[in-house]
Amino acid sequence: MSNELVFVSFRLNGTDVSFHVRPEEMLIDVVRDRAGLTGTKLSCDLSTCGACTVLVDGKPAASCGTFAWQADGHDVRTIEGLAGSDGTLDPVQAAFVENSAFQCGYCTPGMIMLARALLDRNPSPGRDEIRQWMGANICRCTGYEMIIEAVQDAASRAGDDK
Amino acid sequence: MNEVSPGLHVVGADLPRTDAIPKTTGAATYTVDVSFPGMLHAKVLRSPHAHARVVSVDAGDARNMPGVHAVLTRDELEGLNPVYGYFIKDQPIVAIDKVRYIGDAVAAVAAETEQQAVAALEKIKVEYAPLPVVATVEEAMAEDAPELFEEEPMGIVPAYGQGASGYRRIGRNNCYRFSYETGDASSFDDCDHVFDDRFIFSRDQHFHLEPFVSVARYEGDVIEVWTSCQNPFPLRKELARVFQHPENLIRVQVPYIGAGYGAKNNCKAEPIAILLAKLSGRPVRFCMTTEENFLTQSQHAAILDVKSGVMADGTFVARSGRILLDSGAYSDASPLVAEKAGYRLPGPYKWQHLDIDCDCILTNTTPAGPYRGFGGTQASWASESQVDIIARALGRDPMDLRMQNLKDLGEAYVPGESGLDSDLRAGMTLVAGRIGYENRESGNGRGMGLSVGFKDAGGVNKPAQARVRITTNGGIYLQCGTVEIGQGVHTALSQIVAELLNAPLDRVSYPALNTDYTPFDQGTNASSAVVVMAQAVQQAALEAKSKVMTFAAGQLDCSVEEIELDDWSIRKGNESHPLPLMIMRYYGGTGYEFTGEGFYKAEMDHSAPLETRCVSWEFGWGAAEVEVDTETGLIHLKQLVVSGDAGRAINPKVCRGQDEGSAVMGLTGVLFPCMVYDGAVLMNGNGLDYKVPLATDLNDGFVSILQEQGHGPGPFGAKSVGEGCMLPVASAIANAVEDAIGVRIRELPLTPERVLAAIDAAS
Repeated sequence: MSNELVFVSFRLNGTDVSFHVRPEEMLIDVVRDRAGLTGTKLSCDLSTCGACTVLVDGKPAASCGTFAWQADGHDVRTIEGLAGSDGTLDPVQAAFVENSAFQCGYCTPGMIMLARALLDRNPSPGRDEIRQWMGANICRCTGYEMIIEAVQDAASRAGDDK
Repeated sequence: MNEVSPGLHVVGADLPRTDAIPKTTGAATYTVDVSFPGMLHAKVLRSPHAHARVVSVDAGDARNMPGVHAVLTRDELEGLNPVYGYFIKDQPIVAIDKVRYIGDAVAAVAAETEQQAVAALEKIKVEYAPLPVVATVEEAMAEDAPELFEEEPMGIVPAYGQGASGYRRIGRNNCYRFSYETGDASSFDDCDHVFDDRFIFSRDQHFHLEPFVSVARYEGDVIEVWTSCQNPFPLRKELARVFQHPENLIRVQVPYIGAGYGAKNNCKAEPIAILLAKLSGRPVRFCMTTEENFLTQSQHAAILDVKSGVMADGTFVARSGRILLDSGAYSDASPLVAEKAGYRLPGPYKWQHLDIDCDCILTNTTPAGPYRGFGGTQASWASESQVDIIARALGRDPMDLRMQNLKDLGEAYVPGESGLDSDLRAGMTLVAGRIGYENRESGNGRGMGLSVGFKDAGGVNKPAQARVRITTNGGIYLQCGTVEIGQGVHTALSQIVAELLNAPLDRVSYPALNTDYTPFDQGTNASSAVVVMAQAVQQAALEAKSKVMTFAAGQLDCSVEEIELDDWSIRKGNESHPLPLMIMRYYGGTGYEFTGEGFYKAEMDHSAPLETRCVSWEFGWGAAEVEVDTETGLIHLKQLVVSGDAGRAINPKVCRGQDEGSAVMGLTGVLFPCMVYDGAVLMNGNGLDYKVPLATDLNDGFVSILQEQGHGPGPFGAKSVGEGCMLPVASAIANAVEDAIGVRIRELPLTPERVLAAIDAAS
């Protein structure tokens, strides 16, 4: 373990932040412990379950498997950065609320960020594409069908806005 | 009041869950998010041996490592009752004389960072003297098998009623036996056919995404613990015994829980966190890793021998059974799971004679404990597989044979028991119709199977208390000990209160659980919330309402019958009287709170086998369609139709989530590898190697149908839905496989290797 700290700056939910981090420090630790954004959840710690999913330059990333220094110069979004400053929910969040697409809620921030990334890429994905995309993350509670429906609903909401 | 009424406006509505905003915005606080200034982090040294004597533990060097504030070894257990368990107290906080499985806790460190704690663990020197290992139930039961416990640990056998009994240590490594018998054993003699089959049940791990985690601190003499626990009051009682500390000086708080599926009952991370907090004088967080979850709790693998006697016309007559549960290294909840697995083995059929033993066998593996379905999943797998075996042998359609033998609505399960509160044939017809069972094409690799999973719901002799408080301005607090573990129970219970008080849902709050002021509850388990706790909640709400009405009638100088509660006003004829003004006029400007208390417990009844009649019965009807590739052995699940009966759905979407979630959880034990042991070594105990169902493992052929038959004992006719739909999944799929390729597989999971081996054996 090196004692030398690395200076990193990046955008976090639209705000410029900077930290001196240890070389082995992970992005999730900076987000949760330093920035105090505890919505992002750690689970498997092996970049497989997706509970810790954040968006780096709009792409989903496992923050438990991303070194903090890798975020340097990039744009990081977490679940706390989705809703508007007035509390207006992102269409994905609103759809998860109204479709009861969560239970214990532990995978939910990761699921919502994953869905957000899909809709940014393809605003009107088909059901099969949603299933394939959302298959990246584990939810042990819902059985997934209500999550898939929520993402479909979110896509239709965003479409209505235009 | 609690009749199914078309006038309901909150109950039965698909309202957004009350925890929706915190859980979709990242604001929800879980135990992993609880933090204090100066908080230390705990890490545990775990045994590399499956079975060994602990000769010495030298932690001297660890104490001097950077950042270390406390080290916990067996030397620090003095003055405590350092072993815990449900019925049998056998699991130590850290190893005392022996380690009994790979992963058994040996020592723990609290340091300023997790990295420092891990570094200090490496400095602890432990000398082990390895002992012979029993990795399986068969090995553990052998006459010359080494015993995990040479001496009998302290424990109890609970009281049972008609036909049921419990025993301890009646065989090698046998920590508990539950037995149930009714009717005349000679009835087997009159049967035209007797079927004797052995079924093997797989061992899943709960895989809750939030790990076992606790944060503990001492506030003076008060032990304060925040924990991811589904039964905080029994936990408080157990901690009081372990730490020899007054119950009123132990404060257990439960934030949101990142699921448990049964795992988060009783002591898990709590004792180590508390003891390290005591030793260090600082708050301590003990958060396990996913790998440690696998070394802390699992489902029970099982061997089920089931013998059933039937008449030539298909009439079910007699069933006997012996179940062997792999309990792992400590008793944990095994005696309770044995009770339920044994009691549920008959299934909801009209047997005349039953004789069942269920044994808990200790092995040198991860301790097994409560897991959604609680023995019912194992029992339903064997029972519903054998029903199809019988049907095929008699040349009968499996659905037809079920319809002939299922119990009727209201018929007692066994002598002294309550009546079944769902129409089983209606559910069967529903799922069979939806999947297209009648016109199915069987054979050529494609087939369909049916199953009806069964369990009792509501727990045994379970007390629940609740309190409802209403403020001057109409704010309603529902205080009860049912924890929100994902199932949506805060929403459901709040909807019941809102309905009873003619209030919109957003006027009801559900304060976070704190054992200092939350009314007592035995725990969030056994699908008991809407059939047990909800009855206490209903009583509390109605008592609070009655006080409001009596007060208002007095103020308006009329009788209670002349007025109605309308939101937070009193309606009297055409007049509307706002309650806040009325309350402040009488009690003064600072106001008042109306309170109501509620209590529910099933009555003791020694004629009932489990000493109280079961409050309710939970069913899951399942239908599966599979396509089996006979070249590769792969089972492709084309359709899975499941259905539960919510009695009266308080929130239909929440009920649907329970049905679908439990069905997909049930798939894990069928089509996924589950926990793979090489001897006593767990081979896939981490988030990368362990496979659970993903969205891509399902397809649009997966549907759930919510029934509302209206016969439940809960408010408005509600019944439980948390576990039912996981019960039929395994047997429905195995039955479909036989329908498809004519081969019966009696061992879970249904891996391609097993499918191919079964095809080879049949040809």
